Amino acid sequence: MKVEFTPQQSALREELRAYFTDLMTPELADECARDMGEGGGPLWREALRKMGADGWIGLGWPEELGGKGLSPIEQFIFVEEIMRAGYPFPFLTTESVGPQLAEHGNDWQKNELVPRILAGDLLVSIGYSEPGAGTDLAALKTSAVKDGDDWVINGQKMWTSLAHFCDYTWLAVRTDQNAPKKHKGISVFLVPHDDPGWSFSPVHTLGGVRTNATYYDNIRVSEEHLVGELNAGWKLVTGQLNRERLSLVNVGPTSVMFNDIVDWAKTTELGTGGYVIDQPWVQMNLARVRAGIEALKLVVYKQAWAMTEGTLDMADASAAKVYGSEFFIEVYRALGEIVGQSSLVKDKEGAGRTLQGRLERLYRTASIITFGGGTNEIQRDIISAAGLWMPRASR
Amino acid sequence: MDFGFSEEQREVQTLARQILSEEVTPEKLAAFDEFQQERFDADLWQQLVEAGLLGVAVEEAYGGMGFGFTELALFVEELGRSIAPVPVIPHSVTAALTIQQFGSNDLKERLLPAVVNGSGLLSAALVEPNNENPSAPTTTAVAEGDSYRLSGVKTCVPFASSASGVLVGAASDDGVILALVDPKADGVSLEVLEYTTYEPQFEMTLDNVLVSAADIIAGPADGAAALQSAAEHTSAALCAHQVGVTDQAMRMTASYTSERKQFEVPVATFQAVGHRAANMFIDIECLRLNTYQAVSLLDSGTEATTEVQIAKFWAGDVGHRVSYAAQHLHGGTGIDRDYPLWRLCLWARHNETMLGGSVRQLAALGERIVAGEAYCA
Repeated sequence: MKVEFTPQQSALREELRAYFTDLMTPELADECARDMGEGGGPLWREALRKMGADGWIGLGWPEELGGKGLSPIEQFIFVEEIMRAGYPFPFLTTESVGPQLAEHGNDWQKNELVPRILAGDLLVSIGYSEPGAGTDLAALKTSAVKDGDDWVINGQKMWTSLAHFCDYTWLAVRTDQNAPKKHKGISVFLVPHDDPGWSFSPVHTLGGVRTNATYYDNIRVSEEHLVGELNAGWKLVTGQLNRERLSLVNVGPTSVMFNDIVDWAKTTELGTGGYVIDQPWVQMNLARVRAGIEALKLVVYKQAWAMTEGTLDMADASAAKVYGSEFFIEVYRALGEIVGQSSLVKDKEGAGRTLQGRLERLYRTASIITFGGGTNEIQRDIISAAGLWMPRASR
Repeated sequence: MDFGFSEEQREVQTLARQILSEEVTPEKLAAFDEFQQERFDADLWQQLVEAGLLGVAVEEAYGGMGFGFTELALFVEELGRSIAPVPVIPHSVTAALTIQQFGSNDLKERLLPAVVNGSGLLSAALVEPNNENPSAPTTTAVAEGDSYRLSGVKTCVPFASSASGVLVGAASDDGVILALVDPKADGVSLEVLEYTTYEPQFEMTLDNVLVSAADIIAGPADGAAALQSAAEHTSAALCAHQVGVTDQAMRMTASYTSERKQFEVPVATFQAVGHRAANMFIDIECLRLNTYQAVSLLDSGTEATTEVQIAKFWAGDVGHRVSYAAQHLHGGTGIDRDYPLWRLCLWARHNETMLGGSVRQLAALGERIVAGEAYCA
């Protein structure tokens, strides 16, 4: 047991921090802030291609799949640094869809699509939830029906984030209406967004983040677009969600925010004399946040370590997701209390680049991941069942 | 970054768990309830001596196993799981580690073999009435040649009446010192305290007690460092004990709610019950990892003040939350003295409170944040 970075890990972190500081020009930061931290703009695309050319995408993928073959811990260091820099990295494409295609894909997917993902040239959104299928995802109704050599897809998805600037959607559909268990009849297809039967409408959220409803109207795709085996999509879906969950909670941005608020409180004079940080309640709030960040860091690193060892525990992964998502909400509140009502004033373009602008935006976005990426109630069910062997009521 | 246990660490864990699970039973613990007899299991102590566990972190030159603080902390975690009636934290952590690091060769040769073979029991007086900061004692030390005369009051001193020596911090004109006091020396008086865990504890009054130069563990030159080290290692050990206590309480709760039926189904199948248990799991994971980090840093001699404070903050909050959640989910059984949960709750409170509860840790951490010493890396 040694709960410290190795010298090599520390060196990688320094290298990445310097790289992203250079990459994240003020112009790019402005563009990303305008896009509500989602990316998709021209400078964002340019930076992604540069990262691809510099070999930073697929850092943790095996070398034979075109990656750098670094361990999950090193991959986490990468994720932490990129999020620290504030670059909205397309994790869903690079960290969850990409490796799955590289592992389970057919020749076209492996030879045509995967290299473009590694080059930062191809983006994929995820289509799972539907108006009637959320937590009970296996109840999804969007269908693919075989017609000659092709498949014809019809249905509607909800919360298809980033779809408006992605090239494909990784779409979970029903391919066997008569499967004995509903999750046995599900397959995954890659649906091209240039198909005339594909359309979307924006959904605007409390935090300003835009997502989409997407529609699939008689979309005809070839067999090549099926990922993995027919009717064996559930494993791909859950495998993808496990990877996604790991990139949801990350200590990078919160650490930066904490450090910035400490500096602000140390240098901001109170009208009544002294500095903001002199107030005992400010110190208490800061200390509470600091202690929570330390736990988050360790919970996340332990997962990365367990992934490296091949011992990732389901209950631990769920614990990290619940703790992190609920902690973020408390962080934004505690730090907002310190800054006071000014923390509710947007910055000039509503871009969230200044400290107060960030706080004004973050408290509005914080709830997304308590239900997104597998709602916390389900995570707690997993913890009590898989971590404590407690019996679960049937659903 | 390595969260795994080495082979040696696993061996220490297994050995400790084996002895403690066999030797510490609810029936044996019951014999110490309400101060029926001094809460010290002499047979168990002897077995721990024979297994070498009391000296797990003592250098081989003094008869120890020569492992580090990590192995010792894993042993302490098992002591927490079983709430064994043996004073390993004051003896093997506070006293032995501090003497090993700061004491003279003469002191080490005199005391450490006795720590390992159990022929002498060492304790430590870390707190004073209304002053629970071990680094700033109000007890005074007046130099007399190369000896000191100590005066003051220490409180909650475990096993002071049976210890052969007690670590005592005191302030001299030249700075704080750390002395080894014989509790039978002239000028020492002990008053029995009835402590919540039934551990024998004492208020120790020192009236002009003579401590010879040979019994000074650290003089003014390194007294502050010795007191800080003693406090931080003890804090981290209390956290490790708390990991064991809370983990055990959680596992008892999971078993009990899986068996207990209401409305003809196990109460564990109610989501409200499962989720409260899941919260314990998350809490304990946070405590465990922060504890291991603090222990690991202290073991490698890295500055760890912030990490120890944060771990102790978690030990307080998690101990509190898990204790009451475990009692609640057990219903009346949780507080029934015929069922062994209640004793764990006493120790959860002890671990929470000793050397500062959560809010005191936050206040101290806040001061470090102000001083620019606790930024996130």
